[in-house]
Amino acid sequence: MLAALLFLVTGCGVSNVVIEGDFPTPNVSPLPLTVAVYYDDALRDFAYIEYSETGQEEYNIASGVSHISLFNAVLPAMFSNVVVVNSLEEAESRGVDAVFAPAIEEFQLALPAKTKLDVFEVWVKYNMRLLSAEGEYIADWVLTSYGKTPTETFRSVEAAINEAAVIALRDLASSFSLSFAQVPEVRDWLNGRGIRS
Amino acid sequence: MNTEIKSMFRLGVSLTLFALASCTSTTVDEFRQGETGIESDESVVILGRRQASDYETRSEFVECVGDRMTRGENAVSVIPEQEFIDAMFPWFEPRTAPLRTRDLEQLMAEDVVANKMNEFGVRYIVWVDGHTETTDRAGSISCTIGPGGGGCFGFGTWEDDANFDARVWDVGSLTNVGTINTDASGQSYLPALVVPIPLIARVEANACSRLASQLKEFVVGS
Repeated sequence: MLAALLFLVTGCGVSNVVIEGDFPTPNVSPLPLTVAVYYDDALRDFAYIEYSETGQEEYNIASGVSHISLFNAVLPAMFSNVVVVNSLEEAESRGVDAVFAPAIEEFQLALPAKTKLDVFEVWVKYNMRLLSAEGEYIADWVLTSYGKTPTETFRSVEAAINEAAVIALRDLASSFSLSFAQVPEVRDWLNGRGIRS
Repeated sequence: MNTEIKSMFRLGVSLTLFALASCTSTTVDEFRQGETGIESDESVVILGRRQASDYETRSEFVECVGDRMTRGENAVSVIPEQEFIDAMFPWFEPRTAPLRTRDLEQLMAEDVVANKMNEFGVRYIVWVDGHTETTDRAGSISCTIGPGGGGCFGFGTWEDDANFDARVWDVGSLTNVGTINTDASGQSYLPALVVPIPLIARVEANACSRLASQLKEFVVGS
């Protein structure tokens, strides 16, 4: 009886999913720049809550740490020198060429139970900001990433959400590393520094 | 005596169903567009296409084809898919992977990509695209559980159809040298007499085996 009650109680609670994954280092030619990266608290602690059709909290997906580990794997391959700073003020004292500050604007999850498709999907919208060491605007652009994974018989929903999110993070890393120098404002800024991409 | 007849009947039904379950038909079509051949120091990489919105080529199928190509007569060296994709990151991700040989040509103009390809010794890239679809589900099984035990009774059946295309790109000439299509279908059965007995048609396994054999012959050039 007690076990049944406990099962009912836990069955109604929110499932916590902490996104975990390994991210490869991109094979791209690094730009000769020293870039500071600033992860604000909103990114570090980013979590998305998926609600059930009755309005109950269903899944709490924490992806802040995985985003940081992704950027920590990607940025050193893109720039000759990368430093992590704890504030925008600290970047100025480090004598860097630019400060990169990513932000998550939107996170969406599509579950097979709701979409009636045989895939789990994750979609994330980012706002990428590149600032000078003094905090002045260089570029500000939007990137979206997408990941999907098929339903499998013996895999939990939590594992499938993690898989779809990791694929979305890889998608972010690939589009960010390949499109960075093609963003018009970034390209103009690089040209101004005599860097041809 | 009654028990013996029942056992014989169950065995007969099982054997009939097993015989039916093993009825998987597989068709392989090959379309050759260029000469092929592979040296002992060259490798093949098999990659799954994952651009479609409604399905994606399962990595398990890609792995199965690769494993089978490394075995038996005329075995070829195959680079594991994930190892290759990670090493080439970010150039072979679902959104960035080359869709045509013209895209591969542009990709090979990047020094980092060309160097990695040389390191791996890749001679052929095989793009596998397809999935297995389940149709014609019929029947029903009901299970009950009580203080004295439990059991299932009923019958279920469905058809699986696996269709996979393999396009072979020659990294040396940067051309598409051929396409192999494999189509396998079979009926699966799930009778339940107290315990459900799955009699699964090995549709995807057959498609994998036939595709791997054909691909191996294709790249070796025999």
